[in-house]
Amino acid sequence: MEVQNGEYLCLLGPTGAGKTTLLRIISGLTKQDKGDVLFEGQLMNKIEPEDRRAVMLSQSYALFPQLTVAENILFGPDIREYDKDVKERTLADMLDLVRLTNRPDAYPSELSGGMMQRTALARALASGASVLLLDEPLRALDARLRISLRHELRSLAKSMGITTIHVTHDQDEALVMADRIAIIREGKVVQVGTPSDVFDNPASPFVANFVGQSNFFVGVVEEKAESTFVRGDSGHAVLARPCERRLGERVVVGIKVGNTEVHKEGEGYFDGTVERILFEGRNIYLDMDVPGLGRFSSKIPSWRLGRLAVGDKVNIKWSADKATVFAMPPGGLDKELRVE
Amino acid sequence: MSRLERATVFVSKPMVRNLWNWVVIIFFLAFVITPTLFVLTYAFTNWGLIQTDVIQNPEIMSQIWTAIANSFEIAAIVTLIDILVGLPMAWILVRKKFRGKELLDTLIDMPLAVPTAALGFSAAIFWGMTPADLTNPLGLKIVSSPFILIILLHIVFSYPYMVRSLSAILEQIDQTFETAGQTLGASKLTAVRTITLPLFRAGLVTGIILCFARSLSETGGTVAALATIGNTDFNTAPTLIDSLQSQPALAFTSIVLIILALALLVVVAIVVKKVHIPFRKVWPRPEKILSRGLAPRFKDATSVLFLVFIVLIPSFFVFTFVFTSSPSTVTNWSEFGQSLLNSFLIAGVVTVIDLALGIPLALYIAKNRSKWLPETLDILVNIPLIVPTVALGFSLKLFWTGGTPVSGPMAIFLVMLAHIAFTYPLMVRNVTGAVEEIDPTYEETARTLGAKPIQGFRRVLFPMIKASILAGAIMAFTRSLGETGATRAISTTVLTAPNFIVNLVKVDKDYYTAALACIILIIISFALMLSLRYLIKRRKGVS
Repeated sequence: MEVQNGEYLCLLGPTGAGKTTLLRIISGLTKQDKGDVLFEGQLMNKIEPEDRRAVMLSQSYALFPQLTVAENILFGPDIREYDKDVKERTLADMLDLVRLTNRPDAYPSELSGGMMQRTALARALASGASVLLLDEPLRALDARLRISLRHELRSLAKSMGITTIHVTHDQDEALVMADRIAIIREGKVVQVGTPSDVFDNPASPFVANFVGQSNFFVGVVEEKAESTFVRGDSGHAVLARPCERRLGERVVVGIKVGNTEVHKEGEGYFDGTVERILFEGRNIYLDMDVPGLGRFSSKIPSWRLGRLAVGDKVNIKWSADKATVFAMPPGGLDKELRVE
Repeated sequence: MSRLERATVFVSKPMVRNLWNWVVIIFFLAFVITPTLFVLTYAFTNWGLIQTDVIQNPEIMSQIWTAIANSFEIAAIVTLIDILVGLPMAWILVRKKFRGKELLDTLIDMPLAVPTAALGFSAAIFWGMTPADLTNPLGLKIVSSPFILIILLHIVFSYPYMVRSLSAILEQIDQTFETAGQTLGASKLTAVRTITLPLFRAGLVTGIILCFARSLSETGGTVAALATIGNTDFNTAPTLIDSLQSQPALAFTSIVLIILALALLVVVAIVVKKVHIPFRKVWPRPEKILSRGLAPRFKDATSVLFLVFIVLIPSFFVFTFVFTSSPSTVTNWSEFGQSLLNSFLIAGVVTVIDLALGIPLALYIAKNRSKWLPETLDILVNIPLIVPTVALGFSLKLFWTGGTPVSGPMAIFLVMLAHIAFTYPLMVRNVTGAVEEIDPTYEETARTLGAKPIQGFRRVLFPMIKASILAGAIMAFTRSLGETGATRAISTTVLTAPNFIVNLVKVDKDYYTAALACIILIIISFALMLSLRYLIKRRKGVS
């Protein structure tokens, strides 16, 4: 895997996938069993963490409790023995950047969660590092703050031109913030791509489901033309994008819940019964039972709320170019989709 | 680059760090562990002597076994009482807020500042039926049994260890567990008993081991107390070793004592870790009744009364003695001055060495958990704590000199080595515990911010564990200052302050001077402890 200079990369994966371990290997805090870490083409394997200029910002921020905000921010410059006026300028810049100009003498224990987060970020940026490693940096914050800080964090990193690797298990966070996303599962990078790439062209059913939930349809490729024609065991047939799979091969068709269309009139690929309706504000979320196929879900705009009710018969379909065809995963679909 | 920078770079090299670790480990093995256990080899090299002089001599054998049995019985009873009264006191110190808490906190540690030889004399004239030549109008004169007197004495100086071990753990236990239990319908007592107490295990192990070992190993106080009530036939294992002359008998007693003490360490560790002591069963009604009203107040009042009447008053009773008895005419002040000087010199040197070589070992152990070597070292470190110091002193002397008598500067040097052996673990334990508390993320973050390991320690970790380091240093210093057993095992004539007092009481029967010496020693140690406490507080205030 390669990360460009100045890029904002999100490492996305379920808990225990090895995201933090990868971060620690990059920073040098954990020694890898095999493989190499290179910065600018230079081998880093034997370089100690303090000489890598890759600064880690942990979930808990690890602000040094015995130091003030200003002293925390100047920790890096102090260690590297910058000149006094350089330090003063750095401090002023950083306090300004993270909007803490009026709290330089506060101790970490006196700060709110957001302020602690910003102090830790300022400390990381002030150290003169060229790589910023963020381990779930927004996790400890409350929901509203977490969302408002997404943009701020990204633009700060971008304006400093610092290469950022941001670990998260929150797909929304990754989609909004990243230049590129790397999906990690069980210690392996499954896919690297731009947010829209990962969302629209997932490399595996797992990615399709982990980044924006998907419905799956299992069947056999019957015809390959402008779109792929797949027939399921139950006899239902669906359309999907063109694919590389052979005729007669057993495949999985994945379709994002947001692209799954539900109508009371007209013809769909198959029919289902509405089992559950969840109101989510802007959208409503439907669960439907399809005889022979199991549960399908759909996300539709809220204005349709009054027009559907539990027990309604609906037909389900999608446009062929929104559905992706995957080879049947070796361990079966259920194992592939399992998150932990 | 400045000299300091170059030094920083040098010591940060992985090779240098490795080498330094090895130096520390080898020091620990060669100067602490091996001398402590060396006497065990005596059983192999001189088994013949032990057989002819000790095992075939029923009189000595029965003396030895009685003394050892006494020691273990006393230690067990003392530890049990300490747990029972220490737990409520730890609770008061950690969970309660009230005026005068600071004072109570200081009072608990007071007996630690008093050398046990002084404590032994003080407690004996408070409780004991003293012989005719020792007039003491204010003494209670109610205890004639040396067994009970020694129990009362040992409680005094082991009690602070138990309270401190338990409150240290209690402070770390998250109170939300208990609150959760209570919101789920448990009475306070039930919640504490079933949720908090099981979390105490680690603290309980430490407390039990510390108290038991202290009681088992105590020499100076016991010798002084027994001499004060004119006892001649009752012995604990350390006083027996103190009075035995034949080397094989000494070695045999030491070996038995060490083996039993180590076996006990293992048993306690296993029992407390594996056996679920506080039962899961719940008695909602009686426990609810006991959680409210008079019962908790009664418990708190008893704890405080116990502290005052059983621990504090006997400790300082010696102050009344100088006012109620006639002054001595034979006081040798220059000798006392010299002994004080020696004691402080020894304690000072010992503490500095403990700091310099104990902190690195603690860091090595705390940061390399799950590897076999640090785990082994972690277990080995407890050995000098549990080995009775008088046996340790004898063993160490045997190791360095082969058992020949020593005197003068050589004796002082050996006393220092002996004191290092049993104070070193105190430092290592304290610091290891503190480092393990600290989230390693702090130091890791510091390193990614550009700090070399030594800078990370100095700027990040050290400020966080400063209090524990200081606590370790105080413990090491006061333990060395008050130690009698190990010192006397090296040489009974070596001039340290506690030894001076023991000799006054035991040999010269000059009680007045002994009391004066006790008081002066108490005042000096106390002033020292208070100033150190003040220092910790002030630093905390600043940072």
